[in-house]
Amino acid sequence: MAAVKKSKVRSKNTSATAEIRQRLWLMYPPRLIKKPFIWEVGHQFKVITNIRQATVTDEIGIVCLELSGVRAEVDAAIRWLEKNKVNVEPVEIGVIAG
Amino acid sequence: MSEQHRYMKALKCRECGREYPLAATHVCEFDFGPLEVAYDYDRIKKSLTRAAIESRPASMWRYRELLPIEKEPTVGRQVGFTPLIKADRLARRLGIRELWIKNDAVNYPTLSFKDRVVSVALSRAKELGFETVACASTGNLANSVAANAASAGLKSYVFIPSDLEQGKILNSLIYGASVIGIRGHYDEVNRLCAEIAGKFGWAFVNVNMRPYYAEGSKSMAYEIAEQLGWKAPQHTIIPMASGSLLTKIHKGYQELVKVGLIPESHPKVYGAQATGCSPISTAQKAGLDFFKPVKPDTIAKSLAIGTPADGFYALKVMRETNAAAEDVNDDEIRDAIRLLAETEGIFAETAGGVTLGAAKKLIECGKIPKEDSAVICITGNGLKTLDAVSGHCGKPREIKPSLREFEALLTQEESARA
Repeated sequence: MAAVKKSKVRSKNTSATAEIRQRLWLMYPPRLIKKPFIWEVGHQFKVITNIRQATVTDEIGIVCLELSGVRAEVDAAIRWLEKNKVNVEPVEIGVIAG
Repeated sequence: MSEQHRYMKALKCRECGREYPLAATHVCEFDFGPLEVAYDYDRIKKSLTRAAIESRPASMWRYRELLPIEKEPTVGRQVGFTPLIKADRLARRLGIRELWIKNDAVNYPTLSFKDRVVSVALSRAKELGFETVACASTGNLANSVAANAASAGLKSYVFIPSDLEQGKILNSLIYGASVIGIRGHYDEVNRLCAEIAGKFGWAFVNVNMRPYYAEGSKSMAYEIAEQLGWKAPQHTIIPMASGSLLTKIHKGYQELVKVGLIPESHPKVYGAQATGCSPISTAQKAGLDFFKPVKPDTIAKSLAIGTPADGFYALKVMRETNAAAEDVNDDEIRDAIRLLAETEGIFAETAGGVTLGAAKKLIECGKIPKEDSAVICITGNGLKTLDAVSGHCGKPREIKPSLREFEALLTQEESARA
């Protein structure tokens, strides 16, 4: 499993073994668009990946993804995506306003 | 107003069109698309006439059938109906035939357009039975939630990055809000607040109350159209943070046509951003449908959203209205703040500098024709962002208490001018 740094996206339930569900936007920079990150996440971590929307252009790849599993695995999957330079946002992007 | 609830039909997904009950929810369970309030415009058309509106008090609530509440407003009843000023001196400087300033720098009670969205969100929150409201903000939204919650007797939590300037923190603390500073980067605060909103069951104004909150922005469009003599302007220039204000002003003009209050026209809505945080304007200029997230670096803090939630929809509206976006750097923002102050006596916050600076560029390059008429939306007061212009406005000259010295100073000034 990938080295773990403190993730920017935390799960709602604080118990590491609790089953949780996270709704996320993944944004891929152009050089990473061809990488099968979601397949890798599903194999490296005990999580269920459920794609709800996706858009791929020459400029950006955007995937709306639901991740389910125990908190520790979901958090580790998110950290792995971030480590691989995928921008991970909760679906409520832009919560903090001016 | 006992039948007000009949004007709202449902919450509707902006992506797939699925409908949901009018509860405190904001995301479609099917595709995670944002939810928006859908109305019964045929019913609204029957009761919302120009005469009815003009007979009501001068506030944003005079268009209440088009705002998402069921009963009478209970929070921020005096909000809105800010001045629309014919800015002739500024028009001459920009070289455009006719220019108007919609001045929300004097909006009540906290001197920004956020009072519009917050009064709607909090009125609706009370209708839905909430007793605690919350937001995450670095400025105007925090002030408005704190002030409006105080006046409504609601408990409020305001989340901020812990390194926020003391002045901005005081502007929320004074109202008795629970202000929570979170140590961490801006985006970490953002993510934590999304979690808090989901966990505690409060009315988080721009999360679970977002469908209602965002609708408050439409009132700016209604007022502009009424103040122009019941017509939409040819061009409206709007600051973009999340991009929501631009989409809602456009929706506001469209709704007025739908309910027969203004004639059909093709108003163009232009977006303004700071160059240091310009994901939407960069995408618009490149002809893209999607923006790329950025790390903000600008003095226009109130517009510093690197991943704008409504960026996609703002781009769509600009494309559909055949309009454009523009951005300005920090020096251009300060110059525009001074230009507005010196020509029209209006002191705008940095977002106002962004909007005027972008309007100036759009007029110069001909995207807004010089023979047309335009409205510039000023959304906040300059007293809130003094740091941004401090040291850039000159200094007072000091003299001894002597008439001779004063006269010498005047002579010096006159010769400098000549």
